[in-house]
Formats: sequence, structure tokens, C-alpha cells
Amino acid sequence: MTATLFIQSLLAGITNGFVYGLIGLGISVIYRGTRVVNAMQGDFSLVAGIVLYLCSEHLGYPILPSFLAGVLAGAVVGWTVEIFFVRPTRRRGGNEESFLLVTLGGAFAASAAALLFFGRDSRPIRGLGGDNLLDVFDATIRVHAVWLIALSIAVVVALRLFYTRATIGKAIMAASIDPDGATIIGINVPMMRTLTFVLGGAVGGIAGVLISPLITVNYEMGLLLTLKGFTAAIIGTLGNPFGAVAGGLMLGIVEALAIVFVSSGYKDVISMTFLILIMIAVPNGIFARRGRAGG
Amino acid sequence: MNTFEATRRSVLTGTMSTLAAGCFAAPVLAQQSDPISIGAVLSLTGPGAALGQAERSGIRLAEKLLNEAGGVNGRIIRVLVEDDGSKPDIAKSKAEALIFNEKIALMIGASLTASTGAISALTNSEKMPQIALTGLGPAIELTYKSLFHLLPPQALNAKAMLEYTKAQNFKKIGVLHDSGYGQLVYNNLKTMGSDYGVSFVAVEKFEVGAQDVSTQAAKVRAADPEAVYVIATSSVPFRAARQVRITQPIISAIGSSAYDYVRGMGEYADDIVFPEFLVGEDPESHQKAFVDIYKAAYNSLPKNYEAAGWDAVHIAVNALKKAGPTERTAIAQAMREPYRGVMASYNFAAEDLTGIELSSYVYSKLVKTQFTRLTFKAGTKS
Repeated sequence: MTATLFIQSLLAGITNGFVYGLIGLGISVIYRGTRVVNAMQGDFSLVAGIVLYLCSEHLGYPILPSFLAGVLAGAVVGWTVEIFFVRPTRRRGGNEESFLLVTLGGAFAASAAALLFFGRDSRPIRGLGGDNLLDVFDATIRVHAVWLIALSIAVVVALRLFYTRATIGKAIMAASIDPDGATIIGINVPMMRTLTFVLGGAVGGIAGVLISPLITVNYEMGLLLTLKGFTAAIIGTLGNPFGAVAGGLMLGIVEALAIVFVSSGYKDVISMTFLILIMIAVPNGIFARRGRAGG
Repeated sequence: MNTFEATRRSVLTGTMSTLAAGCFAAPVLAQQSDPISIGAVLSLTGPGAALGQAERSGIRLAEKLLNEAGGVNGRIIRVLVEDDGSKPDIAKSKAEALIFNEKIALMIGASLTASTGAISALTNSEKMPQIALTGLGPAIELTYKSLFHLLPPQALNAKAMLEYTKAQNFKKIGVLHDSGYGQLVYNNLKTMGSDYGVSFVAVEKFEVGAQDVSTQAAKVRAADPEAVYVIATSSVPFRAARQVRITQPIISAIGSSAYDYVRGMGEYADDIVFPEFLVGEDPESHQKAFVDIYKAAYNSLPKNYEAAGWDAVHIAVNALKKAGPTERTAIAQAMREPYRGVMASYNFAAEDLTGIELSSYVYSKLVKTQFTRLTFKAGTKS
């Protein structure tokens, strides 16, 4: 094995890790605020990616407004899902399994709608820095991937501050931990749940606009992203935003090193074995104590 | 006879007949008879949609033009297209409905090998002629006497890749393939590679639907091959190969040549060679008329699977003209002969019920996102 190959695999692992982590981040945000395991998280990113494509490639808008439009679209879809799917299910006494099934159905519906209206093509999108590559000791990483890593870290820090410093962030946590108590002290619990989905949708939107230029946009990407993001969130303790990113990074790097040191054919076997071992060792994820303490 | 020429001749004959009838003011009694139904089970949704939708376009165009030319001895044909969702169990139930409820004369499809297998067990027991839009599947298909294939077997696809490789004098090959279509082609490459003096210095597999394969591509690059085979039903590995600076020529397979995938490659769609059958941008002389008609109808260029759909309907109509629509064994017998199609020259009397020769392949090269046809033909030096 050459040094270049090792560095290349690390760069790929870190990039993929942040991709998984960003999706896991959105899943954790929504779970943290509503106790809903949202199987549509990858589809928030799908919608954001489609909006980004339409704005930047189809309509020719500059990249920054196109990114903002994508993030906004993710937030709007998050709001829609909470109002039209989750809230009615909760009103009728739905439990965690019901929410999972409802959002899973929504994920398939979103994918089918994307196929119908957007077509089956994979669409490439210019990223931040175009398609330019950075040289790292003869290995390469896309400039856009560096932006993805930097902005992912910024989002994690911003969420940490939001939950610990902002009044509304604390209110969301209160509404999640003890809905009855939160209601007594005047917190509008249903609105906090809606805001959580808007926030989760926006995080999914950020993930979508950052991931789409790396992998192209296609109608099937939503559920695939959700599966990896869910794994990342579980490893890092469901409900802990920082843990989701850390879990994603571990998963991405293990996958990349498995390809280099063992065989690409065993990549998933090794990464899933890794997941099983973690679940046996720490059943609530590697940041379980932090998760309970509120991140 | 070339299918387009046949269609054009029929159109001319039909038009002349109508004019003659009008000139002599003779009473015209249109033949009032039921349409002849042909069933088609295609993958219009799911992973095989890129194939099935292309095939449907070719089928619909052929149906329209053949009916305008008089159909089957004056009776129009009606192609009943059903979607199997790329799933063999659905393909079987759709085929059952077509055979037993719609009373079709023969079957076209399926788009995917597994679905073809599911249908062919049924058509074989019913002695229903079936024109599959796939290559030869499991060995049991060789025992079926009413099943015909319009696509080559994967062994022939692999051979076409190796012919080009040998002509370029490449000996050390890296391979990046997916676990579905790519695995099937690679299995054959592995068997035949040594016959062509080719050794595979790095072989990397990834799952169908993978969104990033840059580590696998980096491993292939590290083996320093002279050329790289990329075989997948996705644009992802092509992008990854170029992004990790694999600068060697890429040789791919027919299943990766769809326009969908090329669009997904973006600017990386460059210096990639495909052995295929129809290059819409520069068709062979016997394909040009079909390409012109297709372009006029759909405002886009056809490729292999559109041509296969077109050929399937023409083959069916030819057989129905000879044998009539009721005797299934006679229809199958009428098909069992050589046929010069738009996509390829077939010989349905051959043992594999396909009869496509290497000489039917043409080689295209993507140069800055555009296909160009190479002068290379299998069995020659470039």
C-alpha cells in the first residue's frame, strides 16, 4: 500500500463521514426535540438538492442564493411533514413505531414524486469551488468537500450554542423532556415540535446542498442517505448532534480503511460488524452520558 | 431485409394502394377486424427504468409506423405495455394477465434478466413466442424453443471489451465494477482475460447505488494499470475514477452507455470507450433512417435499447404476417431465421436463440461529453 493510497482513503473516509454525520445530525435534532425517528431526513436533503439544481443549473442563479433556497426548501418540507403527517398521528395516540412507519411511507412517496417530476437522471451540480481539486501529498480532495467539512463543523457548533444559550432552544428541550411541565410554565409544546421539524428540515437542507455537488442529485438518494445517517446517529447516541457527526466520521473512516486493508467486497460486512460491536459494548451509543445530559 | 426499408416499402405500398383506389373511385371496404394484441412487460420504474423506458419509446414508434403501413395483413397491432417495476414476481403476474386475459399473440420483454427468466418459464409452458430484450440468462433458457433474445449474452459483451483492449495492446487492466451488472460482465472477463493476454492488476467492487467509490478508485489507480474497465449502471464510478486522477483510458460496457449516466458524469465524460450497437450521433448507414425517424418523433437521439424495442416489434410483425396470429408454434417457427435489425444482425436459428456476432458491435468514445463512433471493428486492428 502506498502513502498516497492511505491518504486518499482517509480523505474519502472523512468526507463520507461528514456526509453521514450531516444526515445523522438532522435525525438527532428531530429525535431530540420530538422523540420521532424521522425516516424522511434524507428526503429533506433530496428536496434541497433538487431546488439547488433547479436554481443554480436550470435557472442560472448564483450559487449562494441557490444554496439558501435549498436550505429554505428543506425547512419548508420539515414543517409540512410535522403539520400534515406527524401531528395528526400524535393526536390519534401514535407511538414511536407509528412515527417511524409514517415517515418511512413519506420517504417512499417523496422518492416517487421526485422520479415523476424530476426524472430518473442523476444531475451533476457545481459545488463551492466548482469541480476543482486540492492536492494532498498526491492524493486529491474536492474543494467543495473541504467546504462541506468546515460548514458541518460550523453547524454542529451553532446547534450546540442554540440548545445551551438560546431561550427557544431551551424551550424545545423542555418541551421534549417533559411536555406537561413545559405546558404548565407556558411553553407552546406543539409549536416547539413544529419548530424542531423546521430546524431538522433546515439541517437536512444544509446537508442536501452540501452533499449534492459531491454525489449528484437523483431521486433514489434520500433513503440511502437516511440509512447511513441513521447508523451514524445510533453510533453517536441518538439525540446527540455532536455524537451523530462523530459517529458518521467513525463509520466513514472504517469503511474506507476496510476497502484499503481488506477488500471492497467486505466493506459493508466490516462496517456493520463494527456497528454491532459498538452496540454490544455501549448499547446507547458512544456518547450516551452526554446525550442524557443534553449534549 | 433492413427493418426501416421494410417499413418504408410498406408505407409506400399502402399509400399507392389508397391513391389507386381513390382514382378509380372503387368502393373501399376497410377490413374490419379486431386488432392483434402483442404483450410487452418492461421495467418502466425501478432500477431498470432507464432500459424499459427507452425500449417503450422504440416499441411505440414501431407500432405507430407499422400500423400506418397496414399492420399485419390489414389488421392493426396493439402493443399492451405493462410495467414490472423491475421485479420478477410482478413481471410474472403481468405476463399471466396478458396471456390469459388479453389473449396476446406473442410477448415482448422483459427488460431485466431476472424478469425475463420469470416470464420465460411461463411462456415456455404455454408455447408462447417471447422476444426478450435481454441477453441469454440461465442455461435452462437454451432448452426453450419459443424464446428469442435481442441483446447479446454477457460473454459476448466481455469479448467485445477484450477485443478492443487487445487491439490497443493493453496488458495490465484495473477493474472498477458494481455488484450487479458489473459483476456479471466481470465474471466473463475473468474467464476470457488470459486468452487475450490481459491480466487484472486490481479489481474493486462496490454495491449498486453506492454514492462514493473514490477509495476503490484510488486502489485501482495505485496498481498503475494501462487501462481501466469501469462497468456499472451509474455515473458514480466514472466521476470517482477521474477525481482520484485515473488518467488512463477507460473502457466500459454497453450497459453503462445510456445518456442518463453520461449526463451524470458531467465534465468527466471524456476518453471513455464503449462497445455497443448504435451511436445516435454517428449511426451506421443501415441505422441512419431509424435515427432520423426517432429524432423527428422524440426530438432526441436513440441508443441501443430504443433500437431493440423497434426491432422487437418488427420481428413480431414479420412473423405474424407469415404465420398468422393464432398458431403459437408457427409464429415461433417463423421467427427462427436470420434477421437484419437496426440494432444488430440476429440469427434466431442459432443455438443461443440470439445469433449476434461480434461484427455487429460498433465502438463509441466519449470525447468531452459527446459520443463519437470509432472506426475500430472487432477482429481488426485500430
